[in-house]
This record gives sequence, C-alpha cells and structure tokens, in this order.
Amino acid sequence: MAVAQIRNLTVRYGSFTALRDFTVDIPEGAVGLLGPNGAGKTTLLKTMLGFVKPAGGSASVLGLDVERDERRIRQVIGLMPEQDCHIPGMSAVQFVAYAGELAGMPSAQALRRAHEVLEYCGLGEARYRNVETYSTGMKQRIKLAQALVHGPKLLLLDEPTNGLDPAGREDMLELVRSVSHGKGVNVLISSHLLPDIERVCDYVIVVTTGQLRATGRIEDLKKLEGQPLDIELREECPGFGDRLIENGFRVISAKALHWRVQAPGTPEELLPRVMKAASAAGAQIRGFGLAERSLEEAFLAAVGPQGGPQFHV
Amino acid sequence: MSSPIADLSYRHYEGVLEPPRHRWWAIAKTTMRQAFRKKVMWVVSASSAWYYLGMVFVMFVLDQIAANRAPNAPDPMEAFLLRIVWKDQFLHGFGFGQILFLLGALILGAGTIANDTRANALLVYLSKPVTKRDYLMGKWFGVFLPLLAIMLIPSLAFFLFGLMSYREKGFVSQDPLLFLKLLLMFPLGAAFHASLVIGFSSMFNQGRLAGATYAALYFVTNFFTQAMVVVHVNLTMGRGETSEAAKAALPIVHSLYYASVDGLNIGMAKAILGTAGSPYFGIPSRMQMVPAPPLLPVLAIMVGLSALMLFIAWRRIRAVEVVG
Repeated sequence: MAVAQIRNLTVRYGSFTALRDFTVDIPEGAVGLLGPNGAGKTTLLKTMLGFVKPAGGSASVLGLDVERDERRIRQVIGLMPEQDCHIPGMSAVQFVAYAGELAGMPSAQALRRAHEVLEYCGLGEARYRNVETYSTGMKQRIKLAQALVHGPKLLLLDEPTNGLDPAGREDMLELVRSVSHGKGVNVLISSHLLPDIERVCDYVIVVTTGQLRATGRIEDLKKLEGQPLDIELREECPGFGDRLIENGFRVISAKALHWRVQAPGTPEELLPRVMKAASAAGAQIRGFGLAERSLEEAFLAAVGPQGGPQFHV
Repeated sequence: MSSPIADLSYRHYEGVLEPPRHRWWAIAKTTMRQAFRKKVMWVVSASSAWYYLGMVFVMFVLDQIAANRAPNAPDPMEAFLLRIVWKDQFLHGFGFGQILFLLGALILGAGTIANDTRANALLVYLSKPVTKRDYLMGKWFGVFLPLLAIMLIPSLAFFLFGLMSYREKGFVSQDPLLFLKLLLMFPLGAAFHASLVIGFSSMFNQGRLAGATYAALYFVTNFFTQAMVVVHVNLTMGRGETSEAAKAALPIVHSLYYASVDGLNIGMAKAILGTAGSPYFGIPSRMQMVPAPPLLPVLAIMVGLSALMLFIAWRRIRAVEVVG
C-alpha cells in the first residue's frame, strides 16, 4: 500500500516551476527521495504537508488530500526540517513536550512521551538543557525527537545528516534506520547524499529539476541488464579470458584480478562453466557473484546524460 | 554487562490525539508561561497597582487625621471625598500604568514572533496541526491576557475596596455603570498594546530590535503628547484672559494630544468613562484637564492600527521561503 500518492503535481513559486507534472506512489517502509540541491525534494515534502498549494495535479498522504485535510495530515506525520529549528527559551524536554501538545497530545502524556523520545534519541542526559546551547548533532537529534513525539505514521526527514561529523552522521543514520525498520513508522528521507539513502532506505525516488527520473527498490536499480557476473581471481592469469570465451562467455571488462563477464543462463548454471574455464587456464577463483553497479552509477544512468546533477558519495 | 533499567528502544505512541482544534490555546498558555518565568514580569505586574496603592495610602492617612482631629475641626476625609471623582481614579490608574503596560507588552510580546522567526520555530509550529490563524491567535492571546490581568486586577481590587468602603460616599451613585465601563476600557487598552507589539515582533527576527522599535515609537509619540500638555497648560493657565488665537488653537492642541500610543489609550479611557479627568490624588489644582475626545474616532484609529499590525503579522508568518 502506498503511504502517499502524487498525481501530475505541479508546484510553482512565482514564475519558477519547482515540480513539474510529478507522479509517484510512495510505498511503505523507508523511502529515499534523492536528488541534487534544488531538485524539488523539499518542495515535494512541503506540498505533502500543505505548506504550498499545488498549481496543478493532486496529492494524498495516508489517504488524506493535501489540499483539504492538511491539518489531519500534519497530525499523523512528523517533519524533521533541514534547517535548525527550535522554540527559543525552552529546555529540550519542554520543547518536545510542547511539540506533542501542538500535535494534540494531552499535556501530561506529552511530557511523559517527551522523556521517552529524548532517551531514545540519545538526549536523555541533556534533556534539561536549553536547546540553544546544543551542538549541531544534538540539534539534529532534537529535531528528530520533536518529529517523533506524537507517534507519527509517516516521518519526513529533510537532509537529516546535514552538518554532522562522520560519527554524528553514523549515529543519526542508525537512529533513522532503527525507527524505520520494524517500528511501524514509514520514513521518507530527502537527501542528496547517496550513501545515506543506501544505508537507510529500501526504496528510492530520484528527482532532478522538478521531475521524476527513476523510482524502485535500490537493489533492483543497482542490477545490471543481462545479469553479468563478477569474477575475482586470486592471481593474475592472462589466459583466463580466452578460456572464458571458449566456454561461451562475453568478457565485458577485465581489470587485473577483476573480470566482468556475461552469458545466457542463471548464475547456478554458469558457475560450472566458469570453474571449467578457470581450471583450463590454471586460474584460482576467489570470488564469484552477480555484478552490481554502484548506486552512483545507477543514478547517473537514471538521470540521463545531462551531466547536471552531482551526487555526493 | 549491565543493561539499562528503562526500555530505551522506540515505542510507538498509541495514546490520545485530540482533534486539531483550539491549538491556539496551547500556544497562548506557553507564551504566558514563558513570560511569567521572568522575574521582571512579576515586578512590572506588581508595580502596575502603584496609583491605587497611593490612593489607599492617602485615604488611610486622611482617615487617621480625621480620627485624631480636635472636636469641631473640619474633617479632612469628608473634604477629600467631596473633592474626588471616583471614576477619575481609574483613569489615573490606567494613565499612570501606561509605561508599565508598555514594559509588560515588551516583555511579553517583543520577542514572541521575532525570536520564533530567528530560530525557525515556525516550521515546528506549522508542521503540526496548527494553522497560521492558530499561531497568531495564540501569540496574541498570550500577550493580551497577561496584559489584561496586569491592568484589570489592581483596578478591580480598588473597585471592590471602594464599593465596600465608600458606597455611601458616592462610589456607586457617581457613575452606576462604572464597573461595566472598566470591563470595556481595560480589554481595549490591552488589545491595542498586544496588537501593536505583535505586529512589530513579526517585522524583525530579533526580539530586542522589535522591542526597541516599539518603545521608540511609544516614546517619540509620547514626547509629542507631553509637548501638547505644555502647550495646553500655557494656553489655559496664562495670566489674564485667553486670547482668541489661543481659543482657536486649543481644539487642535487637544486633538494632537491624543496622537500617540499613550494618548490614544488615555483618550479611549476618557471617552468611555465620560470624564476629562481631575487632579491626581484629589490634590486641589487650578489645572484644566484636556477634554475627552469623541469615542468613535478614537476607537476607529485604535482598531485600524491594530488591524494593520495584525495584517502585517499575518503576511509575515510563513512556513516556506519563497524562491525564484
């Protein structure tokens, strides 16, 4: 079941078109919204929240129309914005409890839940400190805590690792991964960082220049056409290529110990033929498996030869 | 290895989520709670009663003098009660309290939207089931209600004191509608301050700048009002007969007297109470008071200015930056 359905959505800011005829179904689970800066990712999130009115098309989130039911939508989803945001003059626990009250939780429950969520987000020790004194990493965590406090069914995370050092980034991704797997919370993560998306998400939506470029499961997107095989040798063996060709393989690439070959048939059917070629060439095989391209290669292929978008790896 | 006593893993919230109505009240409550955490707010609140406390002190002293006076000596308390106009005491309480109401408005409201803008807090508010209207209403009531309390509580306490102690001395008979007039006058004053300070707060992203701007407007226009007082006194208390030119200038001076935040509030209070005022603490004076302005024009200006400032605030409250 899709948590959000977007149909022919067009969003304009004055004369600038941020999203153009955008159609996509966002499935349950952890979904990455991937695209370079300015691609329209944040605009899509803000449209889902009802912050901006579409110039055309329609969108529904958790079965609710974004134009008619924006308040009910905001009650069942949580937003972790990209920018630093907090309510001045409050400690973390006051801030998160207040966010819960704004979402509709009774005061006492909001306070109790704020303590729980802050513990979960790793801010238990610092919960009575004023949020303005927090480090960047802590501010990211408190943004996540305020988004989680009311138990949203869908969590929108806008660049959740922005400004974090490697350790902080690792912690944040682990936190997001844990909340998005097996906890009943669907997560839509907007990011231009490929490794972040690959680490946390199972499904990805690629956006550039306000248009949908690719969508699907990450493992499917990484698959290469024709199911080529990657073979790794223990030592270099110059005759190995000829033996492979004799056994019906087409050699796609060969770099020292790494060979990429292709032949009709399943990997199980092809393995004996690879072993036969290796035996004939006197080569020792260290590894064998279905070839995959990197996520970056997959996305560059998806967005076409424009050379425009630059993803960070 | 020891394990934590509490379960720190994420658990989904399955409790009550109230329908997305009346969120403005949660915002108003928090705005008030934050303001009253500041000690200076309590000092301002307590100080706002100073004129009434002064009146009570004067009456206490006169009472003591009257009790200890020589037989056949005139009763100073009786003379005092004949001299004072009860409703004017509320006008003076309101007038002298203006500076404190300004301070209260600055403490309560100067940073209320400005600091939220600086901290991107609007994204937090508006990503919850809170509308712009909820936000603005919440902030407005968060400033208005404490200001109203600061203005109204000392006045009502003095009203009760007068009612219980001086009912036979004209407290009720001088103006039977006084209580209702007070209930109209103080909310209007509080609403005017609240609207202006909320409007200024929305124009800046630093509370101090917003507060400084509102205070500057208040004091610059108030200086003008005070200048008109000087002109008024010179025109009405000069030696000899008032000249024709002075007579012609007086209505203009009187109108200009009310051309300030302070003046508008006092003009509104005079018009509602139906009095031009009288000397403070019942002290005899030759000074003529500036007459009360007509109520409707004053109200129209106050409502117009309040609506303008709230409209500015409405336009500036946004969850998204407009690009392109």
